[in-house]
Amino acid sequence: MTDLSFDNVSITYRSSSNRGDVTAVSDISLNLPTGATLGIAGESGSGKSTLIMSALRLLPKSTRIDGQVRLGGKDIRDLSFGEIRAVRWAQASIVFQGALHSLNPVREVGGQIIEALEHHAKGTWTTPATRRDRMFALLDEVDLDKSKAVSYPHELSGGQKQRIMIAMALACEPDIIIADEPTTALDVIVQKQILVGLAKLVAERGISLLMISHDLAVLSAVCENLAIMRHGKLVEYGPSDQVCLAPVADYTKQLAGAFPQIGDAESRMNPRTLKPAEVRRAEPYTKTSEVVLEARNLSVSFDTRQGRERAVRDVDLALHKAEILAVVGQSGSGKTTLARSLLGLQQVDPGSQVEFAGTALPKKAKALRTFRRQVQMILQDPSGSLNPKRSVYEAVVEGLRVQKITDNEYARVVGALEAAELTPAADYLESIPQELSGGQRQRVVIAGALALDPQVLIADEPVASLDASVRGEILSLFLALKKNLGMSALIITHDLGLAWNIADTVAVMKTGEIVEYGDVDTVLANPQHAYTQELLAAVPRLGSQSLVNNG
Amino acid sequence: MTTPTHDHPTPPGGPDPGGSGGSTGRDMDEPPKGGSFLGYLLRKLGGALTSMILVVVLGFFAFRMLPGDPVLKIAKERPMSPAQIAELRSQYGLDKPVIVQFWDYLVGIFTGELGESYVYRKPVSDLIVDYLGPTLLLTATAAILAIGLGLWLGQLSAWRRNSLFDKMASSTSLVFWSVPTFWLGLILLMIFGGTLQWLPTGGMITPGLDPWSFAGIIDVIKHLILPVITMVAVVYAQYLMVMRASLIEEMSEDYLTTARAKGLTEDEVRKKHAVPNALLPTITVVFMHIGGLITGAVTVEAVFSWPGLGKLTFEAISGPDLPLLQGTFVVFSAIIIVMNLAADIVYRWLDPRVRRA
Amino acid sequence: MGENDTTAEANASEPNPGTTSATQPPVIDGAKLVRERRLNNAKKNWSLFRSDIAAMVGAIVLIFFVLIAIFAPLIAPASMLDVTEQLDVPRYAPPSLAHPLGTDDLGRELWIRILWGARVSILVGVAATVMSMVIGTVMGLAAGHFSGFFGAVVMRIIDFFIVLPSLLLAIVLSSVLERGVFTIVVAIGLTSWASTARIVRSQTLSVESRLYIERARILGAGHRHILFRHMLPAVMPLVLANTTLTVGSAIIAESTLSFLGLGDTSKESWGTILKNSMDISAATSGYWWYVLTPGIAIVLVVLAFTMVGRALEAIINPALRSR
Repeated sequence: MTDLSFDNVSITYRSSSNRGDVTAVSDISLNLPTGATLGIAGESGSGKSTLIMSALRLLPKSTRIDGQVRLGGKDIRDLSFGEIRAVRWAQASIVFQGALHSLNPVREVGGQIIEALEHHAKGTWTTPATRRDRMFALLDEVDLDKSKAVSYPHELSGGQKQRIMIAMALACEPDIIIADEPTTALDVIVQKQILVGLAKLVAERGISLLMISHDLAVLSAVCENLAIMRHGKLVEYGPSDQVCLAPVADYTKQLAGAFPQIGDAESRMNPRTLKPAEVRRAEPYTKTSEVVLEARNLSVSFDTRQGRERAVRDVDLALHKAEILAVVGQSGSGKTTLARSLLGLQQVDPGSQVEFAGTALPKKAKALRTFRRQVQMILQDPSGSLNPKRSVYEAVVEGLRVQKITDNEYARVVGALEAAELTPAADYLESIPQELSGGQRQRVVIAGALALDPQVLIADEPVASLDASVRGEILSLFLALKKNLGMSALIITHDLGLAWNIADTVAVMKTGEIVEYGDVDTVLANPQHAYTQELLAAVPRLGSQSLVNNG
Repeated sequence: MTTPTHDHPTPPGGPDPGGSGGSTGRDMDEPPKGGSFLGYLLRKLGGALTSMILVVVLGFFAFRMLPGDPVLKIAKERPMSPAQIAELRSQYGLDKPVIVQFWDYLVGIFTGELGESYVYRKPVSDLIVDYLGPTLLLTATAAILAIGLGLWLGQLSAWRRNSLFDKMASSTSLVFWSVPTFWLGLILLMIFGGTLQWLPTGGMITPGLDPWSFAGIIDVIKHLILPVITMVAVVYAQYLMVMRASLIEEMSEDYLTTARAKGLTEDEVRKKHAVPNALLPTITVVFMHIGGLITGAVTVEAVFSWPGLGKLTFEAISGPDLPLLQGTFVVFSAIIIVMNLAADIVYRWLDPRVRRA
Repeated sequence: MGENDTTAEANASEPNPGTTSATQPPVIDGAKLVRERRLNNAKKNWSLFRSDIAAMVGAIVLIFFVLIAIFAPLIAPASMLDVTEQLDVPRYAPPSLAHPLGTDDLGRELWIRILWGARVSILVGVAATVMSMVIGTVMGLAAGHFSGFFGAVVMRIIDFFIVLPSLLLAIVLSSVLERGVFTIVVAIGLTSWASTARIVRSQTLSVESRLYIERARILGAGHRHILFRHMLPAVMPLVLANTTLTVGSAIIAESTLSFLGLGDTSKESWGTILKNSMDISAATSGYWWYVLTPGIAIVLVVLAFTMVGRALEAIINPALRSR
């Protein structure tokens, strides 16, 4: 069998421009013995992808690798191009992010699996007919129907594409499988199925698994050992349980803290962060019984080519003053559409009622504009939400200008920035988005909403595109806004942990319907609906290789 | 694996403006759905029909309304008595009300009657039929060569980006792109027809030869060489640039890494994966510009006295022979619109992402 | 280019001094920072442009031709082109010391004709391009921003002009209108905007899908705010780079129309010179200089515009830089 080892590996991207060389990986030593499972966790830019691509020499020619990358004892740099091609896929294969663009969009997926077999024709698949049989057998292994072989990637769902990638990786009976963010962009339930399936197939065959992810929980649920990388360096390495449950490095603690254990009292209403937002009021606001935003019988339908589809069905919701309500659901559950209709950005079906402070949502453009002062929305990706050419001041002032609020403009902007804890505000006023970190950008977006003095904030996945270490900061800010200003918030998320961290109430959505709705403590501690139970069970837990052992 | 209960396409969550790079990626488990082929066909047919109607209407109003009175315009070019003018006017039906003229014109288009040429004193439709063949021969030959050459050089150029070959190919095409077609024709004519006298300087066939005899075919090919080179040189450059840009864009795609990781050679990666993907957007652009190639025939045919629609247009301009110009305009436009429609249908058939609903 | 186009708005967004006193004064001078950022950007872009040799050569060629076009009357008075005053000049004189670029069929010096031709050719090229850019930008923005019936109609019109080549439409327009420089400008400007509209539309669509547009809507913004505050600044750099590329095409179009006999015969332009040479079959009669010189002038100027345009495009869109 084949071991994979990295000995003091440093990888530098040589650049002809005046930016100079960029060191992506510095001095990493890791070992993956036969049959072992190793996870590498790190945020974007940590160098984890660069490291694994070096294992099959897939980096651009201009890259310099120092140290040794050994596959089965041989330094891969000593192999000729012909030899490395023979090693690729036959000894070590890669499961790429299938949900994205790792499959050729204009070729049938079955053919793409067969292509791998053709290039490493050995064992039982030396003829076209046996290759075809093997391809069907592989589809069966990953629980896909034979008929999917003639599908094109665009005809498959994200999970199905990921299964194709796994089937392809298993095709040539490799000794090592490298999985590159195999479940990113998948829903939690699909993620669980993919991870459990992958772990099982790998274990049955004695294949070594090297998995990288930004999600510590996903890795710890599958791998025996974990390595944490940051800025190209190894921060911590050890058995999964030890790294997750008793981390030594501060950075690991921060990462581990980003994944609250639902049911753990310590993290309830207390997102873990090194920079908690300040609560200034002696008597912080708490949830009241005064309803600010209410939806009754809210339905939204779209005309699609298949006919009329109802994206939101008969939803009843009430948001109270100083309440944080989390609407949890998978992608396609209609939660974003629900948020947009609460804002009047989305045409609703007849019979639907949305009321703000007891009056129905206005229909006319001008009245809607005034209404928007009261209810503001934070979008998913702060980098996309800011015009890259506008300074922070311009971004925050935009709402005031649009709403024609002209008095005390400067004071309002500074006030909003400080409420979003960007202090001192004056230091940030003329920065442009690219000079800010992800968390700071999200604060600017929040400040832009706060400048209008809204009573309600609707946030769509406010932390989903942020690095895990920033997650706690932003969540703590939401909590502080509620406590300091009495702000009500409706937060759309796929993440039950977020609800546990900050929400008073939670509504679970499935295919446009709210299936369970109530206090966070009640719902998450004692879920009634089967779907809520399923969602809860699918959340990966830190440590213990939970999916492998219990799945 | 466990039974994929939730791992099936879910109903659409609506027209969400997909977040750029958000890691949750809404609606990820819902593959996009295309329309039916019939719907696509009808939409494209409708578009082509609208364009054709616009051409027909433009053809009428541009030529009758804008100049005020075409007969006066003729009269300005050559001396005529008022009686002659009046006679011309009734001869071309210009004394009738505009609506009646428009109706006559519409009926004419459907019955193939496009009026009578002022200069040739022959029906415009007869002239067009006579001159259509040579234009199709010239433009089709040029189009096939230009597309083939452009796409082939373009993909090589992209794959060997920044190599000497790429730099040569790119700069040559930039120079050709900056050359007026007719001037290049004149230069070629001067060198190969004038100075060197290797090739004939004009026409399609030496008078007296039977075009269907062997000698005749060779003679036509000789006449064809210079005009075809002229058209190809100017047009292939654009195709090269489009193919090159398209392939370079494709080269950073993840599925090429997958192909490399599977152990394919660089040549296989290029031929089996990158080029087929890059070709699809290129084809659209190539066919979108086919009109440019076809109208290039106007100046090329004028320079080489090639007896085609382009030369007819050139003569109609010099006349000015407005019925003839109107006729060639409508026919040229019709050819281009039909070509574009064909390209749309071929594209639909080639690209699986839109082929299957 | 890059950030420069938002200067006006940035000035407007300076904190109002009246309200500043209400809170603590700004710790740092924001206005100065903005100015510095823009200056740095301009410097960076200029050094990028300067490092592109082809673009620099193009820029120098352009400056040269623009200068000779402007100063043509001073260098060679119009009387030097008057046929009646050239009776003692040999006709069809090949290039020599006495006649640097040779003479034409009426004994006029070709170098003087080229000099004067530069005026019309460049003027028509620039004027037609400006017209085409304005139409293209407006149509492209409308097609990209407005959905529904209005957007579809605009899209249909753009499609029509994309499918039908501009030369064909320009021939029709210029043959039915009075001959003249203005007609040529209108004929080219009115028919060549579709590709600009297409580029603007796709850029508009891509900006339209950005979250900051959705955010502006959430803040209560209407069409006017979104179009003028977000869309226009986002498409303008692209349009400007496209302009330099289009001037080249417009100059070629002018020469083609003149060559076809649709130009203003009373005004010198490079296309008119080529038309004259064609009329006397210069190409097949051995008067090579008569054909060569005006063509080379056209190619030089068009190539120069193309080089500069490509360099600008690469600066605006760094993704193109490696191409």
